Amino acid sequence: MAGTPVISRVNVGRRPDQFTLKPEGGHTWRRWRPPLMRRHWLAWRGSYNPKSLRRERRLADKRPLWWTLGLGGLLVATPFMSDQFVNIAAIFCIFSAINVIWTLIVGAAGIFSLATMAVVGLSGYAAAAANVYFGVPWPLMIPIGAVVGLLFGLLLALPSTRLDGLYYALLTLGIAEICRVAISQIKALAPSNSSINNVDSFIPAGWYLQRPGLLIGFVAAFVLLLAALLVFRLINSERLGLLLQSAREDEAFSEAIGIDYRRARWWVFVLASSALGTIGAFYAMFYRSISLAVFSLDQVLLLFAMIVIGGLGRSEGAVLGTAIVVLIDKGLIGLGPLRIILVTFIMIVVALTTRDGLTGVKAQFRAFRNRKKSERRAAQTEKGGEVMPEEATEIADKQLVYRRLFDKRLRDGLKRTITPELIAEHRTKPLGQHSDALDRLLNYFRREEMPDKYAILRVGPLKSCSYRVMALSGSPGHPPRQVDDKLYPTLNEAYHAVFLLRVNDLLAS
Amino acid sequence: MMDATLLVYALYLAAIYSLMAIGISLLWSSVGMVNMAHGATFAIAGYAAYVASDWMVPLVKAWSTGSEATVVLAVLVVLVGMAAGALFGIVIYLVAFLPIHDKPNFAVRSLIVTLALNLATVQALLWSFGPQQKALPRVFGSGRIDLFGVPVRADQGITIVTTVALLSLVLLWLRYSRRGLEIRAVMQNSEGAALCGISTRWTALPVMTLTGALAGLAAVLLSQSIFVNPTAGTTPLIKGLTIALLGGLGSVAGAVLGAILIGFLEAATGAIPFLGQRYVLVLQFAFIVLVLLIRPRGIGGLLDETRE
Amino acid sequence: MSTDLLRVHGLSAGYGPLRVLHDIDFSISAGERLAIVGLNGHGKTTLFRAIMQLVGWQRGSVVFDGKEIGGTRSLGEGRYTPGIVRLGIAMTPQGDAIFPGLTVREHLDCGAHARSAWRDRARRRNQVYQLFPQLDALQDALVGKLSGGERRMVSIGRALMSDARLYLIDEPTLGLAPKVSHRVIEALANIPLEGKAMVIAEQNVALLSGVVSRMIGMHAGRLRGEVGHVGLA
Repeated sequence: MAGTPVISRVNVGRRPDQFTLKPEGGHTWRRWRPPLMRRHWLAWRGSYNPKSLRRERRLADKRPLWWTLGLGGLLVATPFMSDQFVNIAAIFCIFSAINVIWTLIVGAAGIFSLATMAVVGLSGYAAAAANVYFGVPWPLMIPIGAVVGLLFGLLLALPSTRLDGLYYALLTLGIAEICRVAISQIKALAPSNSSINNVDSFIPAGWYLQRPGLLIGFVAAFVLLLAALLVFRLINSERLGLLLQSAREDEAFSEAIGIDYRRARWWVFVLASSALGTIGAFYAMFYRSISLAVFSLDQVLLLFAMIVIGGLGRSEGAVLGTAIVVLIDKGLIGLGPLRIILVTFIMIVVALTTRDGLTGVKAQFRAFRNRKKSERRAAQTEKGGEVMPEEATEIADKQLVYRRLFDKRLRDGLKRTITPELIAEHRTKPLGQHSDALDRLLNYFRREEMPDKYAILRVGPLKSCSYRVMALSGSPGHPPRQVDDKLYPTLNEAYHAVFLLRVNDLLAS
Repeated sequence: MMDATLLVYALYLAAIYSLMAIGISLLWSSVGMVNMAHGATFAIAGYAAYVASDWMVPLVKAWSTGSEATVVLAVLVVLVGMAAGALFGIVIYLVAFLPIHDKPNFAVRSLIVTLALNLATVQALLWSFGPQQKALPRVFGSGRIDLFGVPVRADQGITIVTTVALLSLVLLWLRYSRRGLEIRAVMQNSEGAALCGISTRWTALPVMTLTGALAGLAAVLLSQSIFVNPTAGTTPLIKGLTIALLGGLGSVAGAVLGAILIGFLEAATGAIPFLGQRYVLVLQFAFIVLVLLIRPRGIGGLLDETRE
Repeated sequence: MSTDLLRVHGLSAGYGPLRVLHDIDFSISAGERLAIVGLNGHGKTTLFRAIMQLVGWQRGSVVFDGKEIGGTRSLGEGRYTPGIVRLGIAMTPQGDAIFPGLTVREHLDCGAHARSAWRDRARRRNQVYQLFPQLDALQDALVGKLSGGERRMVSIGRALMSDARLYLIDEPTLGLAPKVSHRVIEALANIPLEGKAMVIAEQNVALLSGVVSRMIGMHAGRLRGEVGHVGLA
């Protein structure tokens, strides 16, 4: 008996363990849709498990769950928390909204713009000025902010096609500074050190900084965040975003198949700027004032830190990064300047260890694990046995792959059984009853393919003949070839010679 | 009207800006990294010079009170500033370059790490020294020298001379020393350099030390006219970045030319009566934007080979 | 074989998931000039780059002078390349990898990376000028302004400045006029190879006769066919 068979660990791919629901087979499956929508909230996929013979339901995408739990939890829990927490939550919502739209610009459109706060601030100032100096009622501040954002976006979009990423980024960095200086020059605002106060808002003046006012502010900010996420979804997952995805991967190719990615980028940029303008107007209403601090460089860099910690390009990343930084920055005020140092420490650790921020960790880890596995596999296997996955895809008939593996294992097992006793056994009795090991060996030999299979040629007349070993050619019309020029007096010797040749071939393979 | 004092002032500004801009340009083209922590290097060097001068002034005054004492003090303070800048450059190398220089997405990640270092350093300085501005003693004297009949402020004159001397040294070193050759090789073709046995890792270290020292020098020189405070590095950083862009990243000559242009622009803007200091920044940016729109790769594209 | 200077065994390498080289097996001993011939795109350059670890491996082993230079770790980004160069392998890549802003003399100096080679660089430069007389007059010219043939000579000369014992020359006649190609190949034939070896990847087989002692064909990432003792040497 050959030794214990080697268990193959060829894992080409890996399906992680999934949580599954096991519904009763007899029930009809009714899935709920949010009203007016064609989508479902959670992506359940039904499948049949052939092993357990049951119907199963898997959750294909867990993200709506995390979103609902996170944001829903925030909405539900905040009214019960302290005033400070409500304020922090509102600020988190506003910054998240800004960051989500910013992720649209940097991720989807690929335009490295640092002018976010400039747009927000300018629109905020315009809306506040309209309200305070021109008496525009506060609900109209939102459209004013949107329009100003749009115009500013048009202006900023012009150089974005001309300039390289880095150059454009530094240019936009300067734009905020220019805005600040420009606004501080406007004489009309000079008396109140260039800030506009007493802006009308959805928070009634009497309730400002009181608990009811804080709660209204939080709810409004939460709605703002939802609106920003909606805008992100509408742009990123619909036509514009899909056009841009091809451009992100290969610009020349997407242009060659007819996608006008420059126009798509321009559109995304302008729409996102308009959205930022709206946020600016909201900002002015939320704080009931707006000051030059909105243009500060530190603020922009902090926001940038947020989207980077979370992961560029994903809305989850923007929200997660904002949550972490706002929590530390505003929640741990007691630590003083230490908290900024903590934020920067997190930034450094995340940038040094992750490729795409915190939300990209799962993909990065999986890629790393796959690489390590393939390296280990490459180091272990010898030639001739296992077929590497890359090779396997080139071979059309997968049975060949399995055959090679099986053959290799069989040969390894047989090699282990070849002993001098076995060879002596064959010499004494080439045909006839053999031990189990010899039987298996001979079976293997006799199953070989025709080309180069050994055969015995009788030389000379039957009474006084000798025997010679030949090798068959395997193709019709081609005669067998001589292996060597040894003549064997008896058939048994010839059989044994063939056996020895075959054993040598086996040991050499 | 442009007169000699204004000319000197313009050159003075150009000198300081060129120190910062060359540092950023050189680093980007040889290493592929944007160093946002350059401002922090500037601030740290300023503080180091402040602390050093604090305990050096009494010692030197005890030794001699003549004019050679001023010279010695000036040299010592400059050296301390440069050393502090170089040390911080090494820190940036260890934290922002070494762990990730061969990993994917290096440019963005190093940008973030240097940004974080900048923020952290500024906060740390705020914490330990407080937000008040500190004044460095007038190590360069506060007199005026007469140069060809033109009254020149001593500190401005010395700044220009020192900068020109040091930059020339640096450029000579780059051109004629072995390390300089290696750095230039890496700047122009990193794969070719690897095939010559030059590793980016070991070239980045002298580059970062050198650019840190240059920033330190700029800090000490500039601290004569502005105060030392934790955020002192921000404006020079922004100016350095934009001038490096103007000159074309990777072009040292372009950075110098850009610095001269911007220096003159700043001096001129400040002098024009109805504009004044407040419009300096706006005008500078407008100028840079204009140039970049016409030549998206900066002035230096004209002058020598640059890295993409 | 213990006299092998370089022994490649079972090398499979490629770019990311794409496998370009399949199970490459060859060896070269000191004093030998080997040519790897094949059409464009069949893996000659990838083979050289894999040995220099500018391209990631999937499996295999490369033993240079008894020392294993493993490549499965490397992602092929050139991080370990300077180390391999210091071990004694010099490659002239396809397209020369020149530094456009440096002069010819500076180029050659770049090649002398070992300390002893650096100190000796004037003498080695003269040796290169003897091999390529045209470069002598161009010592201070910017390489970015030179013609294709002169650049190729600078690139080869740069590889010769070091203490390398194995020269990997990738497509030395690519893009050159016939007369210049002849000159370059002649120079390659004249490089003395005591204790050293040279592997030339080339498409133009006719030029190599009389220069190399062995030729191996490469097709679709596999080595096929070997012709030994071609012409002299």
